[in-house]
Amino acid sequence: MKIEAIVGSNKKLSYNRKLLQFMKDHFADDEININEVKDFPMFNENYPEGEEAHDPELITELAKRIEAADAVIIGCPEYNHSVPSALKSAIEWLSYRIHPLHGKPVMIVGASIHPQGSSRSQTHLREILDSPGVFAEVFPGNEFFLGTAKKAFTDDGELINQGTVGFLEQCFTGFKKYAEEINDFKKVK
Amino acid sequence: MKLVAIVGTNADFSYNRKLLEYMKWHFRTAAEIEVLEVKQLPPFNEDLPYSEQTEVWRFNNKVNTADGVIIATPEYDHSIPAALKSGLEWLSYKHKTMKEKPVMIVGVSYGTQGTSRAQQQLRQMLLSPDLNSDVLPGSEVLIGNAAKTFDKNGFVTDINIVHNLEDSFAAFNKFVKSNMRYLEEGDVNMAQPNISSEAKVQFRTGSLKIKEIQQIFNTLPFEIDFIDATDHFSFYSDKPDREHVRYPNEIGETVEECHPPKALPGVRAILDSFKLGTQDHVERCLPLNGHKVWINYFAVRDENGRYLGTMEFTGNVGHLVNLVKDGKFDGFPDATSGASKHDDDAEATGPAAADTEADATTGASEHDEEKEDKTE
Repeated sequence: MKIEAIVGSNKKLSYNRKLLQFMKDHFADDEININEVKDFPMFNENYPEGEEAHDPELITELAKRIEAADAVIIGCPEYNHSVPSALKSAIEWLSYRIHPLHGKPVMIVGASIHPQGSSRSQTHLREILDSPGVFAEVFPGNEFFLGTAKKAFTDDGELINQGTVGFLEQCFTGFKKYAEEINDFKKVK
Repeated sequence: MKLVAIVGTNADFSYNRKLLEYMKWHFRTAAEIEVLEVKQLPPFNEDLPYSEQTEVWRFNNKVNTADGVIIATPEYDHSIPAALKSGLEWLSYKHKTMKEKPVMIVGVSYGTQGTSRAQQQLRQMLLSPDLNSDVLPGSEVLIGNAAKTFDKNGFVTDINIVHNLEDSFAAFNKFVKSNMRYLEEGDVNMAQPNISSEAKVQFRTGSLKIKEIQQIFNTLPFEIDFIDATDHFSFYSDKPDREHVRYPNEIGETVEECHPPKALPGVRAILDSFKLGTQDHVERCLPLNGHKVWINYFAVRDENGRYLGTMEFTGNVGHLVNLVKDGKFDGFPDATSGASKHDDDAEATGPAAADTEADATTGASEHDEEKEDKTE
């Protein structure tokens, strides 16, 4: 399966990036491509200043990759109990003039240095992805919260806790099945 | 009451901006409202060098010195715009600017929901530990059908909305004032022991009542600020028409918090040299508010030379300069020696004051001169 993964942080050191990198390596039978939000400009309906407003090229490129993919995974940090502005800004770009996430199966995962593992942020992200304009097909249940992320990885980027790996495998397998069903259904329609 | 109102979008045209401008006008007798934009802030990023973010510092400072904050949020994808979220992230990064700050949420949307979902999420964000704000409960302002809400002069056309705004603002007014009273008086159930204003402080050279000390500071034709030994801004004299306008909210701030990032290295250099004892005095002359402003930093020490803090002594010397120009000091017996001494000082300390090493030598030479004076 061809999957576009989005790192929800613009920080150099991001445990969500580590988590997505682990998934890419661990689920090597599937093609997971990692995308960054850090170089996107802040969403502004009047962007760019002094020109006729249009979407940035980096965004339209990402949108094309999402459209060509079978599914999307978002790695979501938590800032102030919610989604980081860097990720929210990317979603705003992807729901304003273009709507590449419309009907796209999306899986949410998240890591944080606190025990909750971005739980509040993920709830907000679900609401955001469920809004008209985004209209994503968000994989229900299967909440993957990687808490105390500082201690979660080996130096080589492997998840240390095998129980966590097992649960991630279970979520990912379920997600692929869900994504196939959604995509099949769209074809029939 | 001083409030800031944050426009929750970076869009050129915004009904939420219109709403805040309307509130600024409509509630002008109750509060001084300054409308702030998140547009000029860089997108929040922890990897940006914080010390270079002058706009962020300014934004933080404005919010910090306000008695309360109004946030007008649009709704993008059932949540607040990224531009506003980014502003809140800056307000909770490094400093907890929003901590216990009274906040009123309002919002305008094109549809009928009036940003209800965005406001719900915003409430949750504001209650997170790093923002930790006091959000006004109830009193929702959810304005839908934005296009029909304002006339061409920016006035709200629907009387029900006007009443909703007035009721909510009255609640917020009370909310902010009770918060201010609390900050001033503390918890009445746990009264703190205090010293009455009639109490006297005994100095070697006489005694003063607490009230007198306060009023002497406030009456001096110069203003005084004090940074204590732990680098916290701990006092300013309440002189009317200060050159450096300060607010009670700033008391207790660290040196980092109360200076623009660009000014910080210079301030640090002065404080470090005072602590080391390489110099005791730094002088600056600069034009400020159209005045000739003379700024002096003094190391304050105890009898053993231990550093107690830094006193900043600031004053408009325009009047003094005019007196000199008008020859008011001419005809004094020591007029010539006085003037030449002043010239010497100016040459040595003036512009070179930026160089701390130069200051160190000046300090010493000044000291010598003083000694000479005494022997004379």
